[in-house]
Amino acid sequence: MQPVVHFRNVNKYYGSSLAVDNLDLAIEPGQFVTLLGPSGCGKSTTLRMLGGFEMPTSGEIFLDGQEISQLPPNKRNVNIVFQDYALFPHLNVRRNVAFGLELKGMASDAIHKRTMELLSLVKLTDFAERMPGQLSGGQRQRVALMRALAPNPNVLLLDEPLSALDAKLRQQMQIELKSIQKTTGKTFIFVTHDQEEALTMSDVVVVMNAGRIEQMGDPHTLYAKPRSRFVANFIGETNFIEGKLKAVDGGLAAIEWNGSVVHANLNGHSPTIGTTVAAALRPESISVRSDKPANTIAVSGRITQRIFKGDHTSLTVDLPGGQSVVAQLDPVALSAVTGDDVWLTWRESDAVVLAD
Amino acid sequence: MRSYFSDFPKTALQASYWLFVIYLLLPLALMMAISFKDANFVAFPIDKWTLKWYAQVLQDKQFLEACLYSIFIALMTTLFATIVGVWIALLITTEGMIARSVIFALACLPAVVPGLINAISMRIFIRVLDIPTGTGAIILGHTVHAVPFVVIMVLTRLRSMPNNLVDAARDLGADSFVAFMRVTLPYLAPALAGGMVFCVLTSIDDFVRTFFLGGYQTTLPMLIFAKVQGGMSPEINAMATLVLIVTAAVGLYAEHLTRRSRTR
Repeated sequence: MQPVVHFRNVNKYYGSSLAVDNLDLAIEPGQFVTLLGPSGCGKSTTLRMLGGFEMPTSGEIFLDGQEISQLPPNKRNVNIVFQDYALFPHLNVRRNVAFGLELKGMASDAIHKRTMELLSLVKLTDFAERMPGQLSGGQRQRVALMRALAPNPNVLLLDEPLSALDAKLRQQMQIELKSIQKTTGKTFIFVTHDQEEALTMSDVVVVMNAGRIEQMGDPHTLYAKPRSRFVANFIGETNFIEGKLKAVDGGLAAIEWNGSVVHANLNGHSPTIGTTVAAALRPESISVRSDKPANTIAVSGRITQRIFKGDHTSLTVDLPGGQSVVAQLDPVALSAVTGDDVWLTWRESDAVVLAD
Repeated sequence: MRSYFSDFPKTALQASYWLFVIYLLLPLALMMAISFKDANFVAFPIDKWTLKWYAQVLQDKQFLEACLYSIFIALMTTLFATIVGVWIALLITTEGMIARSVIFALACLPAVVPGLINAISMRIFIRVLDIPTGTGAIILGHTVHAVPFVVIMVLTRLRSMPNNLVDAARDLGADSFVAFMRVTLPYLAPALAGGMVFCVLTSIDDFVRTFFLGGYQTTLPMLIFAKVQGGMSPEINAMATLVLIVTAAVGLYAEHLTRRSRTR
């Protein structure tokens, strides 16, 4: 399938600082794609280049197979929802939504029909004649969304649109956004620094760091099989197993760690034997027991902290080598308390070797 | 509402405020009172009241012509000052524009240069350029003086405008001219209205610049000045009262508009 959006070798410099570094990114139509990364990672610049508000220093951007990198925003069939909504304060809700349609030269009764349809999609028909200043944050958000969808763009861009809302409303809007994406079948490209938001809504998450793509994939793959330390660290909580690589066998790495040899999934990497490698291990993949298990590799340590978190209990276990490991378990699974010695085990495939 | 000097005796404070209000309004009140006096002398007491001075003023062809001339000059001044003022404000807020503060300072200079100096320099200037004194020269002089008011008001409003409003318009299909007409200009509307009213008022009120740049046709302030020289009469009071009421109404309305532009 032809990608709806395609960045090819795109670089963007601001003066001498590189904001986007040789970006290659193809986005399939109809997907909810999230660009995720810390501030300054180039995700917003990427979005603004697609919207036409920044021009790439070099490289090409294709929309539906057409080169658009140098076109002004009004000549591109993409629309954007801004972080602070950017509703026109002198126009009421209906006229805000109709703005793009009026500029397309649509007949006024057709504009009215489409505007009202869109407003009913987000249950704002009763607010059509209100001014933006009279709306709540969530309502403004919905108006901005419908205004951007009104001209029927190929791709909808969303620049951290939920960051100004409170936690509860944000969760509600995440679900609403996802369902609007499903019903309209449009490609949504969403920018955020919030990993939870990215995991909740996306079909595909693109993790960016320092202007480059660190990893791209569906949320589950990113969480379970992070490629780099950055991804493992940025998405969810994680433990790092670092040590000398002793051997490689059948997709598994044997790592000398904390006085014993533990195994981790190679995850497609091929590190040199004898070098130091790192593997990521999620807290919930670790099982904690009070007696030494037979037939499996286990690491011993002492509990230094036990925190009850409602749906789970978080244990901090200090290992003899000085590292500490965080494990997550069922609140009632283990009666061990702070100061007890315990054994940690995990399925070999749950520890994942990282690129760097 | 705040309260100042709250440890002072309340009545003394209020009395001093009222004293100030009386000092402000008493001369105007006396002037208005005399305009209703049925006698040829400007003096108290007033024995008989009349509206005849108003009837006389409203039938005075010279007065009406001067009014129309002043209004014409004021409107032309407003037109030019608004265009130039908005242009300068846009220039100052343009991204990557160098020497913004210099442009701003130069644009505001005419507001602080003494009117007399301004008027003399304009007079010399138009002579050098061979522009005759008269309507065109007056409008030129008034425009220079009015531009700073427009610049300051529009600039204040422009700086409060969210950056991405224009981006949003562009995104929805507007080219930069359409975005300016449909988004920027409506956003500036309250500031523009306020600025335009101030242009009208400063132009109608101006005497010094008109005196140096004017031709044979008299504006309203020049007419009143000429009449006063010919001797005080209640007719002048009636004229002044009419001018006062109209300009005060327009001025207060403008103040209302700009206040709204600051809070919205």
